[in-house]
Formats: sequence, C-alpha cells, structure tokens
Amino acid sequence: MNRRGWIAAGLIAVPLGIAILGPLVSYEVGKGLPYSSEGLLGTDGLGRDVFGLLLVGGRTALGMAVGAVVLAYVVGGAIGLVAASTRHRWLDEGLMRPLDVLLPLPSLLVISVVAVGWRASALAIMMAVAMVNVPTVARLVRAAALDAASGPVVEALRMQRESWFAIQIGYVGRSVLGPVAADLGTRITLAVFLVASVNFLGLGLSPTAPDWAVSVSRNREGLLLQPWSVLAPALLLVSFTLGFNLLADRLVHRSRQMAAV
Amino acid sequence: MRSYAAQRALLAVLQLAVLSVLVFVLTSLLPGDAAELRFTETLTPEQVARLRAELGLDRPAPERFVHWLGNVLTGDLGTSLISGGPVIDIVRSSIGATFVLTVATLAIVVPLAVALGIVMGTRENGRIDRAITSVTLALSAIPDFVIAVVLVAVFSLRLGWLPATWVGGDLLASPALLVLPVAVLFGRTVCLLSRQVRAGTINALHAEYVVQARRLGVPRRQLLLRHVLPNAAVPGVQELARTGDTLLGGVLVVEAIFAIPGFATALVDGVETRDIPTVQGLTLVLAVAALLINLTADLACNRLVPRTALLR
Repeated sequence: MNRRGWIAAGLIAVPLGIAILGPLVSYEVGKGLPYSSEGLLGTDGLGRDVFGLLLVGGRTALGMAVGAVVLAYVVGGAIGLVAASTRHRWLDEGLMRPLDVLLPLPSLLVISVVAVGWRASALAIMMAVAMVNVPTVARLVRAAALDAASGPVVEALRMQRESWFAIQIGYVGRSVLGPVAADLGTRITLAVFLVASVNFLGLGLSPTAPDWAVSVSRNREGLLLQPWSVLAPALLLVSFTLGFNLLADRLVHRSRQMAAV
Repeated sequence: MRSYAAQRALLAVLQLAVLSVLVFVLTSLLPGDAAELRFTETLTPEQVARLRAELGLDRPAPERFVHWLGNVLTGDLGTSLISGGPVIDIVRSSIGATFVLTVATLAIVVPLAVALGIVMGTRENGRIDRAITSVTLALSAIPDFVIAVVLVAVFSLRLGWLPATWVGGDLLASPALLVLPVAVLFGRTVCLLSRQVRAGTINALHAEYVVQARRLGVPRRQLLLRHVLPNAAVPGVQELARTGDTLLGGVLVVEAIFAIPGFATALVDGVETRDIPTVQGLTLVLAVAALLINLTADLACNRLVPRTALLR
C-alpha cells in the first residue's frame, strides 16, 4: 500500500473506530452551561459534553449508511447476478424492468416520506436508503457479470463441464468483485450523505440524539461561540466520506490499469 | 433513431403509470392522518370520525386512488387539507424559488464542469489534472449542510456580507440572497460532473477513430470540438440527469437552512402535517420532472452518439 492508501485507510479508521469502540468507553455527558469550554471539546447547546456525545453519535451516523449499502448489495447483487446468469429472457426482463421504473424516483423524497412516517426509526431510514440504492446496484452487478460471463474463460469452463455453481459463483461472482469494490466507495459516501441529510433536516432521529449529523444541525447557531460542537462531528463525517472517496478513486484507477494491460 | 425515441417515450409513459401508483401508496402509508393530527386535543373521537368522512379519509384506498387519479388526469391535484386551497396553488407558489435556485446553479455548474473536465482529460495524470482531481475529490466528500453551516457562520454571522436567511421578497430581485445557497449547491455538483466529463474525454481520446484522425492530421481544435466533445458529453449528460437527484437533495437542505419558501419547504411541511393531497401533488410534480429530465438526457445521448441502444 502506498502513501495515499495509508491516508485513505487512516481517514476511514478514525471515525469508524470511534463509532465502534466509542459506545464502550462512553460516560455520562452531564448537564452544564450551554456552549461553555468545559471538558475536552466544550459543551453543546444543551450543555452536554461534546466529546462524550461524539463517542456515542457515530453508531447511527455511520451504521445506518453502511447497513443500508450492505443491504442494497445483498438484494441488488442477488437480482443482478440472477438476471445476468439466467438463460430465460423473461426472468431477466422481469427482474430488471421494474427497477428501470424505480430509477427516476428522487431518493431524498422517498427517504423523507419514510422517515417521517416511522418517526425516529433508524431501521426504517436504513431500509429506505437501501431501497433507493437497489436499482443501480442491480444494474451494475448485472453489467459486470454479463461482461465476465460472455468472455472466453466461461466458455472454456463450460467445455470442461464445470458445474453451474463453480462457473457462476466461483468465476463470474468473483470477477464482479472488482467493479463492486470501486462502486462501494462512492456508494457509501452517498449513503452517509443521505442519512445525514434526513437527520439534519429533522425528519429522522430525534433532535436531541447524539448522532453526528443531528449534532451539526442542533448546534449550528453556536458555531461561533463554541466551534467544536459543530466542527468535531462534521470533521468525523467528512473524514469518513473523504477516505472512501480516495479509496474509490484508487480502485477505479487500478481496475482501469488492469483493463489496459 | 425514430424507433429509439418511440421506445424510450413508451418506457417513460410506463414509468409514469407506476410512479403515480407508488406516490399514492407511499403517501397513504404514512401513519396517522390530518384529521387525527390536527384536532386530537380539541375534538371528541366522534367529531374526528365525522371530519374524516368529510375529507374522504374513511373510504378504502383503491377507491381513493381511482378518484385521485381521475382528478389528476383532468388537471385537478385536489384540495389541501390544511390551507383548504387547491394543491395546484401550493405547487405554483413554491415552484418559483426552487426553479430559480436550480437554474442559477446549473447555469454556473455546467459550463464550468465541461471546461474543467476537458482541461483535466486532455492532460491526463499531468500536474493540473492531479491538482484539480484532488480538490474535487475533497470537495465532493463534504456534505451540503456542513458547507452551508460554515458559509453562513463566516459570511453572514461573522463578516455580515451576505444575508443568512430569506426575509421575503423576490429571489430574483435580490441576487445577494442567492449567493450562499447557490455556492452550497455548486460545490458537489461541479465535482461529480467534471469527473464524468474527464473520464469521457480520456476514453474518447484513446478511441481508435480519434487516434486515426490525429494521424491524418486533423487540427487539434477541430479534433477536440468535433470528435472528442460529443463522446465526452455522453457520460456528462447521463451524470447531469443523476445530478438532478443530488441537486434536489441539496435544494431540500438549502431551502431548510436559508428558510427559502420553495418546493422542498412545502413538501416537508406537507409531510409533517399529514396533508396527503399536497404531498401527493408535490411528489407527483417532482416525479414527472425527474422522468422528463431522464427522458431528455437519454434522447440527447442517443442523438450525440446514436449507437446507445435501449433494448438489451
């Protein structure tokens, strides 16, 4: 791994580490004066300790987005692989056409409606973010799988009478991983943005939740009084998405170089 | 070409049909309705039931859907449960601000992104390319609302140069109001778009017909404008259609932060007060707009590079 790779890994590791380990070492955030400089990073608009909130706010901010992307890949990936590997045209069409119809739905709109309907339910927001990602994931996986399945390798495997399972999962499934990895970076960034936007707008989690995006929204009037109450959660979010952006850029670059060879 | 346009238009009609059902189902699923939400503290359950019957909320969903669709097809989007006025008025009064915001942003973003993309693409991996790439990568990792919060703090609260919120009046009459919202929307879209144009330019430059044209001595200027640009524009136009989605999300956030009474504000209000006809009307208008943008983008791509096919 070169220097840029390490930078990307570090940018992802810090917020991820806080999100995973933070809740284990969290402490009582107390109630002091609003926007005071008490404690490591001062207090927020409700007089709670900013650092203490940061430790517990990552679980929703990152967890919902990562969970949504994983879910989108499980559902969309399965649809894409089946559509690409089936010999029945009707199954391919039947799986992919409905997704074409869903594609132009404005994503934040869908998520806002769901988020308000099931107020403060992290699970509902996660499902909605996953849902708006399924069509594009299915398309991507199908295209990548078709690309691999139409090559000479699959033909050779078939002539050697390899089993369907060995060909589809062992070879095609594995060659899809490259484009998927490159797509994953940008998709996670977008999912973090979507989840954060819904929460920032006040349509998602409760306005007192420790979630990083909610914290930015809640404390924005205090930015000049006590900058860390806004900047610390914002920086953690940006660090996470920037890391994934850099990673995605590297992977795209590498897959292009490999294609050129 | 004709048959492609016809097929694509047919798909759009199908999409519209499904979308109208989806819009209705999604908004009908919202727990709690306007009758409950508005009056639970002042009215008895019997009165709520009577109000619900008056508003037509007690009839079964399929019946309401047919009724709603029939009205929509004749151009009637229904009546708001909160204001009592026609939904079309809410659409009309809120669409202006959103339209101005979007058009102003795109008017700056599109020419700049195309120029940046070509500059980067023609200098692949050069110093300028790497510098712009780093900046766009970093900028596109910052959520809209973080940029907005910081810009407001610096330019409105600290320096006092620009207004922080909308206080009434016409957006077009006071351009100072537009500066910060457009600046927020501008950042990420220009990054996403210019990266697509860059990739398109690089692909086109490596294509055999361009290499061949270069061998034949076609002047560089003509090569770029006539051969590279149309091909580079395809991923750009497709990205622009997708940018519409990003932009809409951004507009929602921006309208909320700067208190601009646009489409998004009307929508959020509608959802929060369970004003179902308003939400349905606004969502439908947005979905139709998104459909039209996608349709136009696909037709434009087909026109630029006719080999893109709809049927697989």
